[in-house]
Amino acid sequence: MREYDIVVIGGGLAGLMAAAAATKRGKKVTLLSLGSGTLTIGGGIVDVMGYLEGGIPAATPSAGLLQVGAGHPYKKIGRPAIEESIRFFKEICEQEGYSYIGNLDKTQWIPTAAGTLKPTCLVPRTMDTTELKKADKVTVLGFDALKDFYPSLIAKNFKKIPAFAQKEYEVVMIDPKLSEGRDVTALDVARWLDTEEGLASCIEKMRNVIDSGSVVIIPPILGTRPSYAVKEKLEKALGCHFVETASVPPSITGLRLRTMLVRYLKKNGVRIVEQAIVAKSIVEDGKCVAVITEGVDRERTYYAKSFILANGGFYGGGLLAEPGKVIEPIFNLPVEAPTDHELWANYSLFSSEAQPFAKLGLDVDEKMRPLDANGKVLLNNVFVAGRNLRGYDFSFEKSGNGVAIASGYQAAMSV
Amino acid sequence: MKKHHNNPDSCTACTVCIANCPVTAATRKFRGPKMVGPTLERMRLSQDDIEPSLEYCSNCKNCDMSCPSGVPISTLNMLARAKYFKNRKRSLRDWILSHGEKMAKLSAATPGMANFGMKMSRGILKKIGISDKAPLPAYASKSFSKLFKNLKQTSYPDKVVFYPGCFINYNDPQVGMDFVAVMQANKLEVIVEEGFVCCGSPLVVNGFLDEAEENAKQNVQILKKWTDKGYPIITCCTSCGLMLKQEYQELFHIEGVAEYAKHLYDADEFLLDLHDQGRLNTNFGTLNEKYMYHAPCHLRAQGMGLPGVELLALIPGLDVQDADAGCCGISGNYGFKDDKYDISMEIGSGLFKTIKESGRDTVVSECGTCRLQIGHGANVKTLHPLTLVRKSYEAYHK
Ligand SMILES: Cc1cc2nc3c(=O)[nH]c(=O)nc-3n(C[C@H](O)[C@H](O)[C@H](O)COP(=O)(O)OP(=O)(O)OC[C@H]3O[C@@H](n4cnc5c(N)ncnc54)[C@H](O)[C@@H]3O)c2cc1C
Repeated sequence: MREYDIVVIGGGLAGLMAAAAATKRGKKVTLLSLGSGTLTIGGGIVDVMGYLEGGIPAATPSAGLLQVGAGHPYKKIGRPAIEESIRFFKEICEQEGYSYIGNLDKTQWIPTAAGTLKPTCLVPRTMDTTELKKADKVTVLGFDALKDFYPSLIAKNFKKIPAFAQKEYEVVMIDPKLSEGRDVTALDVARWLDTEEGLASCIEKMRNVIDSGSVVIIPPILGTRPSYAVKEKLEKALGCHFVETASVPPSITGLRLRTMLVRYLKKNGVRIVEQAIVAKSIVEDGKCVAVITEGVDRERTYYAKSFILANGGFYGGGLLAEPGKVIEPIFNLPVEAPTDHELWANYSLFSSEAQPFAKLGLDVDEKMRPLDANGKVLLNNVFVAGRNLRGYDFSFEKSGNGVAIASGYQAAMSV
Repeated sequence: MKKHHNNPDSCTACTVCIANCPVTAATRKFRGPKMVGPTLERMRLSQDDIEPSLEYCSNCKNCDMSCPSGVPISTLNMLARAKYFKNRKRSLRDWILSHGEKMAKLSAATPGMANFGMKMSRGILKKIGISDKAPLPAYASKSFSKLFKNLKQTSYPDKVVFYPGCFINYNDPQVGMDFVAVMQANKLEVIVEEGFVCCGSPLVVNGFLDEAEENAKQNVQILKKWTDKGYPIITCCTSCGLMLKQEYQELFHIEGVAEYAKHLYDADEFLLDLHDQGRLNTNFGTLNEKYMYHAPCHLRAQGMGLPGVELLALIPGLDVQDADAGCCGISGNYGFKDDKYDISMEIGSGLFKTIKESGRDTVVSECGTCRLQIGHGANVKTLHPLTLVRKSYEAYHK
């Protein structure tokens, strides 16, 4: 039988990071993945801790980490491992030529396509706001026919933000001439800039509307690949600074990050099985021996010494909501949820409290092993990471990718 | 979460498929899998809607592979295409490209003449819409079934049934012969059933769904007969394999597919399973050679990883590097079409570049039409993994 050291279930950010950390430790890893994870939807911006209970912005991600409650995954993982995980993540990005900026001691407020600011921790260099903050005059550049990015809306809303109100805004448009066929998305523009001709043509068009030395806010269009080549060529040719905004799906920054991590894993010998739907597990004496995928043809059994369960939450498929209960389908691990469905959601609109529903998930110990209601470890060689963990509402507190990175790393280090 | 439920409502409109669609990346004429597939399917359920860009979907299945909700997007597109053509006249071009098996049978009497004729008639083919640049396959001088009939196998108690498929049968029979040699080296006897017909993949992509279903019924009956007797079925072509085990279940309602699918194997995966059971012949001779590998999309879609790469890793000395550069663009007969040729080459351009930059002059891949396209686009030689396995067995005895 082919046996691996570790089988990782799920190819979202948590699973990718777990696999990366495990190979770094010299482990033989198989990654069973289904679909391409939330990264390409949610984006490659790494939130660690944006808002505290009550909706108060955390002064820094670090300060936020100090204030999370006992049940929060960060509390289990602990500060040193969180720091190491962030360092490890940044190290991979650096190695792969797509470095991220930021650290736990600083909240980065980054512009969104709606003209608001969003707190986060780590961003690719295409979102570096250093020059934006210094600039007196800011250009917002849009593309004809591009949906979901309205430069005048951005300029108007920025005027309402105290730190940005004093700046002068200029709105300019260029026509990428991509109108043939379908609606234009940021992905189309980014692909246009992936090509030599597209880039050259874009530079010419931009030259007509922006002055050298400008700071220019743009949608996420600086190429689809995990590389800064497009950014550097554009900036060199035009003598400008470009700042990408966070945007709607499909997310270009998420696509880049995912491409980079998958490439890193393959280079390091991780065996990736796509379209692998893990359905069951074989457990003997508190240990998982194998997991079983359910193909359209037949089941396939994957043996390993340890398993990392990183198959997402309700959205990814890691947790299933059934009337009055929540199910974890692979190991049938307990998920404590109020039997009264009404208590799952917080129905007040724009509430300053997290959603109880979003906090449902698997309880784990500090090694990320699943626990029963009495705090007893249920499976010795199974480690949980990512969105399926209990005790946090990523959307409310802005911590999604941060928890994915820290817990994926911690799971791999605990094996 | 099984994939053949065909429920467009599982689509959450998350747009991941658009980001992963190679056709969308190559041309703006395609509105993308999400719009053409599930979104419009919801409307199609209620009204007869025509999506003009539907013809651009190549059925490569990268959308299905990226979907977090298990929607068989490409199959919804193929069903919609069949519906579109239900009451419409078909082009001669689409008929010819879909009926490779019939064409091959017609030419089988004189393959030499047929190839000569094909060269001469590229101009005529161009007129009906088949690109004069595309890498159309030549007919082999002897089909696989002819070669197989003349082959003397050693008889063994353990037997496997081989489904050759049109490409191996008429265009690339050596792959089939290499397969038989490898099975024999593992003390297995190969059965080839004359009654097998084209799996239907080329028919489905051009909307000839009814004919594909007829083929399916015939194949299903034979496949089921053999697996009921306990024989495994093996394919060397990943598109045939995908059609026989998965797309039949998504497209048609034919009894028995789920049952035989349990015992239908890709050749590489079958050999790895033998290895797991400790009964693979591992008398591999050293091959000090370097190759690139290309994973066909229709293999990746099957949820078994890359068994070819794992299998070749057992051969001492062999250095096989996964190109990992996405779809080659051919998608069966998509890239043969005059109006799709450029799109197909654009899709494959990343792969061609990766191969050229590797400096390796031969690419290994399971899919016959991928091999044609790669040979054409990257100007390299190509091989099926089993050809190397056979070579390694032979090297052991030298
Ligand atoms: C719209 C949106 C925007 C967001 N924006 C941000 C942001 O700006 N910053 C931020 O930090 N976070 C953001 N998030 C949150 C963040 O994306 C997630 O919290 C995080 O990526 C979760 O990662 P994960 O690996 O745990 O789960 P997922 O990414 O969901 O991955 C789980 C994977 O497991 C697979 N899987 C499921 N079941 C099985 C099975 N049975 N067998 C095999 N595989 C299986 C799934 O298909 C999936 O690929 C956003 C989320 C959304 C939805």
